This record gives sequence, C-alpha cells and structure tokens, in this order.
Amino acid sequence: MSKHHIIGLFSDFEQAFSAIAEIRDGKIPGVSVDDVILKSPIEHPEIEEVLGERSSHVPKFTLMGAIFGITFGFLFLASAEATFLVQPQGGKPVIPLPSNIVLTYEMLILFGVLFTLISFLVSARMFFKRDNLYSEKVSLDQIGVRLAVDEKNAQALKGLFQQHKAVEIREEVVR
Amino acid sequence: MQTKDINEQIKWAQINKDVLTSLENPRMAYWVAVGICVAMIACAVVAEVYQYQMGIGVAALDWPQMWGLYIGTFIFWIGMSHSGTLLSAILHIVHADWRKPIYRFAEAMTTFSLMTAGLFPLIHLGRIWNLYWVLPYASDRGVWPNFRSPLAWDCFAIFTYLTSSALFLYIGMIPDLAICRDNAKGWRKKLYTVLSLGWAGTDRQWRHFRKTYLLMACFLIPLAVSVHSIVSSDFAMSIMPGWHVTTFPPYFVAGALYSGCAAIITLFIILRYFFRFEEYMTIPILEKTCKLTFVIAMAWSYLNLIEFSSVWYGHNEVDKELLLNKFTGAYSPYFWAMLFFGSVLPFTLAFEKLRRHLPTMFVVSLLLNVGMWLERWMIVSPTLSLSYEPFAWSVQWPSIVQWAIVFGSFGWFGLLFLVFVKVFPSVSMYEVKEMVYHRRRANVESKAHEFGRRSSDPQAATGLPGT
Amino acid sequence: MSFKNILGDWAHYRRGREEGGFHNYEHKWGMAVDLNKCIGCNACSIACYAENNLAVVGPERFAKHQAMHWMRIERYWDEPDLEGEIPASQYQEQGASFLPMMCQNCMSATCEPVCPVAATYHTPDGLNAQVYNRCIGSRYCSNNCPYRLRYFNFWSYYESSWPAPLHMQLNPDLTVRDKGVMEKCTFCVQRIRVAKDKAKMEDRKVIDGEFNTACQQTCPTGAIVFGDLMNPESQVSKMWATHQVELGKTEQTKQNPQMRGYRVFEDLNTDPKVLYLERVREV
Repeated sequence: MSKHHIIGLFSDFEQAFSAIAEIRDGKIPGVSVDDVILKSPIEHPEIEEVLGERSSHVPKFTLMGAIFGITFGFLFLASAEATFLVQPQGGKPVIPLPSNIVLTYEMLILFGVLFTLISFLVSARMFFKRDNLYSEKVSLDQIGVRLAVDEKNAQALKGLFQQHKAVEIREEVVR
Repeated sequence: MQTKDINEQIKWAQINKDVLTSLENPRMAYWVAVGICVAMIACAVVAEVYQYQMGIGVAALDWPQMWGLYIGTFIFWIGMSHSGTLLSAILHIVHADWRKPIYRFAEAMTTFSLMTAGLFPLIHLGRIWNLYWVLPYASDRGVWPNFRSPLAWDCFAIFTYLTSSALFLYIGMIPDLAICRDNAKGWRKKLYTVLSLGWAGTDRQWRHFRKTYLLMACFLIPLAVSVHSIVSSDFAMSIMPGWHVTTFPPYFVAGALYSGCAAIITLFIILRYFFRFEEYMTIPILEKTCKLTFVIAMAWSYLNLIEFSSVWYGHNEVDKELLLNKFTGAYSPYFWAMLFFGSVLPFTLAFEKLRRHLPTMFVVSLLLNVGMWLERWMIVSPTLSLSYEPFAWSVQWPSIVQWAIVFGSFGWFGLLFLVFVKVFPSVSMYEVKEMVYHRRRANVESKAHEFGRRSSDPQAATGLPGT
Repeated sequence: MSFKNILGDWAHYRRGREEGGFHNYEHKWGMAVDLNKCIGCNACSIACYAENNLAVVGPERFAKHQAMHWMRIERYWDEPDLEGEIPASQYQEQGASFLPMMCQNCMSATCEPVCPVAATYHTPDGLNAQVYNRCIGSRYCSNNCPYRLRYFNFWSYYESSWPAPLHMQLNPDLTVRDKGVMEKCTFCVQRIRVAKDKAKMEDRKVIDGEFNTACQQTCPTGAIVFGDLMNPESQVSKMWATHQVELGKTEQTKQNPQMRGYRVFEDLNTDPKVLYLERVREV
C-alpha cells in the first residue's frame, strides 16, 4: 500500500476551511479531520472550529519552570548566603529577606522563560526536517491543506480540492 | 491626511516584497553610518585602554565623586531597553495591533541597549579583570558574591532580562526567518535555514507559538519593571541623601519607558526614511507612539514633582539642602536643562500638527533622550557632591576619557542596530499580514452589516488575501 | 554551602541581628578623641601615612581630591557674628575647630552590605575589615559611607611614591595596594594582631595600653585614646561611660548634659565606635 501525500494550496482561508469542513463531514471515507495539517502564513485560531480542538501543553511547562525557579533560586541563594556566617555585614541578617525576594523573583522569571522556550521547541517539533511538500507560497500568501491518504482516496481528495478552487495541488507518493 | 493605521488593501505578497527589499545590499549611506559608528567605538576603545593602563584617576573621578558618567550612562541604556518590552509585550496583551509594524525594531533596540549597558559595569570597575567574582560560580576560594548588595542583584536581573529579551526577539522572529529562508540565496539562506529551526507554518506550530509568545510576554512585563527597580535600588538602598528615596523604583521605570519611547520615535523616522517603509510605519502609528510618549512624560514629570514636594514637605535638612543645590548649585544648568527637555518639551507631542511633522519629531525625540540622559547624570553627581559630610562637599566634572567612552557607547549601539536591520527583517511580516487580514475582515463585516448582508456573501467580499 | 547551615542555625541568624553581627565578640576596638586637646597639627595623619604604607600623591592630585590620607583633620569655623564681635578666624579660641576623622568602624556599617563581592565585612574584633585582594573597585562602599572615609586607589602609586631607596621605609606588616582597590583606616589592625598573638602566646588577655595605634602614638597632646570597649577597665571604656555614650543607640540619653561626648551621624544608625569630646568654648 502506498501513501499519497497531497497538499492543496488555496488563496484564502474561506476556501481552505470549506474543504476541511467537507473532509470532517466524511466526504472521503477513512480519512479523519485529525489527519489534516494546515499550513498558513499567519496564525488563525478560528481554524479550530473546523479542525477540531487541539490543545497545547506549553502553559504546564511554564508553571513547572516558575515553580522550579522559585525553589531552586531560593535554596541556591540561601545556601550560598549561609556560608557567610563569618562575614556579617552592616547588621543585616545572614539570609536577608529583601535580597532573597528580589533574587528569587528573577530566578522565577528566568526559569519560567527557559522552560517555556524548551517546551515550545519540543511541542512544535521545531528541529525536525521539513517535509518535502513544503511550498514557499505558504510563507507568502497561500494556505495549504495537507493530508496523507491511501491510493484509493487520492483522486477523490484531489477532486475535493479542485472543487474548492485550489490554486495548486502537489502530490508525493511514498511506497 | 492619512487616518488609518495601515492600508488594509495591501496584498500579503507586497508585504513580503517590501520588507525583504530592506535586506538587500546596502547603499553608500549605510556604509557611511557604519563607518561613523566604528569611529565612535574606536574613540571609546582608546579611552578605555588608557584608563585600564593608568587607573580610574584619568576619568577625573575623585573622592567623594566616586561614580560619574559611567553609572549614569549605564542606567540610561538599561532604561532605553524598556520600551521594546512595553511595545511588544504590554501592547500585545491588550491587543493593540498598531504595534505590529514597529515592535520588531523596538525589541531589537531592547536587546542591543542591554548589550551596551552591560559594558559599563566592566568599564567603571577599578579591577576589571576580576569582574567574574560577581558571578556565583564554584570558586576554589569558597567565597561567593555578596547577595545583599544591589550590585549583585543588578547582575542577576540584567542577565535574566538580556536572556529573556533576546529569546523573545528570536522566538518572535522565527516565522519571519522562515520567509527570509524561502527567498534568500547563498550565505543568507544557510543562516536563515539554521535560525528558522524548520518552521513550516503548520497549525500545530502556530498553536504552540501563540501560547509561547503570550506566556513570554506575560513574563517579560514584570521582569522589565523589576529590572529597572533593581537598578534603581543601587541608589535607593544606599544611605545617601537624594538617593535613599522610596519613589526611585517607579521613577526609574517611568524614566525608562520615557526614554525608550523617545528612542522608538527616532528609529521609526530613520527606518521609515531609509527603507521606504511609509506603508507600514505610517503617520497614524507615529502619532499613537507620540501620544504614548507624552503620557509617560507626564507620569515622569509627576514623579519628579512628588519627589521635590516630599523633600520640601519633610524637615530633613540634608535632603532639603541637596534639593536646593540641584536647582541653584554648580550642576544647575544641567538640572534645568533636564527639566526643560523632560517636562516642557514633551508638550510638542500634544499637538497634532507637530506630531505629523517628521523633522520636528526627530529633533524632539533626540532632545527628549538628551533630557533623560541628563536626568541620570543629575541623580549621580549632585548627591555625591553634597552629602552628609561637609568636609567632602566638592564639585567635579567628568574628563575627556569619560565623555569619550559614553560617546563610543552610542556608536556600539548604532553598529549593532545597523547590522541587525540588514540581516534580519526590521518589520514583522507575519504580524503585519495578520493586522491587514483582520482589519480587512472587520471592514467587510461592518460593510456587510451596513448593507444587511451576510459577510460570506460573495458580493460583500471586497478583496481577500492573495487576490 | 550546605543545608545544615540553613536549617541548623536559623534561630541564631535571626537573633544575632541586634548585635550588628553574629559573633561572640572577643573585643570591640573603639576610640575616644578629645577635641579640646586636638591642636590640628596633623601629626596623626602623617603617622598613619608612615605606618600603613599610604601613598603621597603629590600636590596636583591632592588638589583634585585624589589623596590617600586615611586619617584626615577637618577644619571648621564658626560662622562669623554679623555684628562683627566674633571675627572669622583661624584660631581655635576664636571659632575654628579641628575634627580628626578616621574610619569609625561602625557596628552597623553601611559600607559592608553593598560590596558586590563581599570585600568588606565585620570581624569578631568589631572592626570593619577591608579585604584588598577581593576588592574589584566598584566604589559603592565609599559612596555609601556617610562620613566619606573610604579612599580609592585611582592610580598606581608603588612606582612613583617610593622610588629607591624610599621603598625601604615601607611597613612590612602590610601590603602596598595597587590601583583599583579601596582602602581605609583599620585601627592599625596589624598592631592589634601582633598584640593579640603575643597575649595568646603568653596565655593572657590583651592589657589595655599594651599597644597603641599609630595616630595615638604620635599625637603630641594625647587627644586620641584607643582601646577595647568590651573591657570595662580600659581607658576608652571609662571615657565612654563618663560621657554617657553607649553602643547600639541612635540617640543618647544623658543625665548630665555637660558631658560633652558625642558620635558623628549616630542618628543614621551606623553605630560608630569613635567618641568625640566636643571642644569647650568660651561663653
């Protein structure tokens, strides 16, 4: 069984949406809307109306990072300050609250940002090789709808795309 | 007279083309600018080498004026960095989409002014080669930095802010770098391919991207406030009259936003002229930035007034005498200049005719920044010249070495910025496309509503992306 | 760097705050300067130069306020009377006064917490220590001293100040500082160390008057008294007690207002350890 990877390029979101809506309604048997990948030059949150809800785990990692920042920051600093028992200064306590509040806050933000960044890179699969059906037009002004279907559905899918006035259709066959 | 922030009929392909044109091989004017910046940096390097060899004495610093222009300029550069955060992060959260064409260079300005500011703690130290002792590393001596010191807080805060700003700038640029990658050749293509991390514009990537950007913006706002508060605590946590003031954190943050906004106006006018970005960096957007600057200027002026009033109202002799000295003493010309440039001159931003006149705005924004630089100097020097100990009262002026290094720091900033605008897109292409798209849709919907039609009606559709 | 430090001694940290540190103090070295006896001869200042390897910076740099004197004699004049009865004068009897200022070794020193690399701290002897090796020259400590008693090596003096054979005069008990380092009066800590070591070897306590600081040694009128404030029998403790001045207070309550002892800027909560006895003037 060979897989046909097909991408249809549309000139605006409306047509791409109606194409996806038809796929969702089951026009092509055996193909679910979860397999659809939409490629666009801008973000478009309304796509979730047709594409289905897809969640993002990034905020969880942000929270983890912030909590890690607070605990690690405070413990690190307090233990470093605690070594200064022989060097009191200015009548101030060895583990002073104002200094620790300020520095722990900075550590919270630093680790929050770093964890968010790493979770983004991992969740968005940023370091993977781009697939061959990438078209430069997506970064310009067209919207791509990409699917991988079996041979029997390939023609039906192409017909669907053409019905919705696709500007260009590309196909790649993988055996 | 243009009243719309942007012409929503611009095609997306046109946006790509216009911005990518700015990355083409530079004209002679660019190389002249680079040459000037390099010359300025050379001045500073010569002065710094001289200072390194001979000692801090060449800077005409003395007892009791132990700090001078280095600290003042350090705070000035940190301050200038706050506007990028204001524009990118704060305006993003409140969905002010007029920021979209201009936030990219503002964020770049943030990162580069932080990199410039980071030079000054090195320059002003007596023993620069031991600077790394301020970092908490595993030292054989078993001694760590003194976390009670506001200078150690500075170290953490600025490191965090520089890292976060640079990452924020970079992450926000990834979709644009993908566009550059698709249109570049040669070494640029390799560079953009690596930097864009395989961005393909899939809905999965956009989803995560949106969340990440918002979360980073949410972090960056309190970070910016805290960083300049920490820098102000270099003064506020000390005992000196004129420094030991509780309004310093908000005062510094207001001053930072102020000088940053003024710098945005300056760079806005420069980039608009040289790269012909008239369609994107429009006059209405400039007007909005000017109004924002005006509001911040009034906040800054208020905080100044509050500081003067509370000193006057209280009976602390030392603080009062210092305040009078600022107005009438040796440094008073600069103090009055600061008040004029900082509180009187921004009223030009209140008049529409002046706001729309680009040469006036260019000069005004430069002078506003001069005022803010003077403000930083007037925080450092008058207090040191007139503190608690009468025997230590003295007036001291900076030497040519200090002026050369301060001058050169502007060259360093300029050089970094010039390199940036030729390698990376200084207008955010994908965000401008979004701005145009959403405004067009809003237009269509309101027109359809007017005519009693559904917006999906083909007759109501007046231009969709790509057509 | 261990959790044991944090968990085990937390109570000790919080309680120790009142004492300006956490030490079980062995000594609290302090001074009393009688301004009635001070004639402003500057011998103490010069003795300090000799004892502590201070650099003579030359007239130009002195005029530019880059001098290195750890002990300075401040000169103040009473304001001349408007009726002309009290003329402006250089004479002490007619309204001029001298104030020798050296590092007050404050118990709650404002200079200590602001050093980014912890180059200055409070020792178990009650002294404010400046660690020359650790100083990176940020000069925050000097800016934060309300008395402005900390001096910075703006230039490198060891080549120019002591050309051979003058380098033979240097005190081998302490270093010569290079440029970029902060320094200040240490109450002649090298002499304190020698005296303490000697006392330890002989298995006894340090006797009051056994050693003195360079300024005390040189003062022709005996205006400077140095000693241990923790020793109630020492001369300096007795002077503090007589003039009803105590450590740890920002304002002294005196039963006898004629007791002329005061501390400079004690209301700033620096808790300095130098007592000044106000000059007696003609009424």
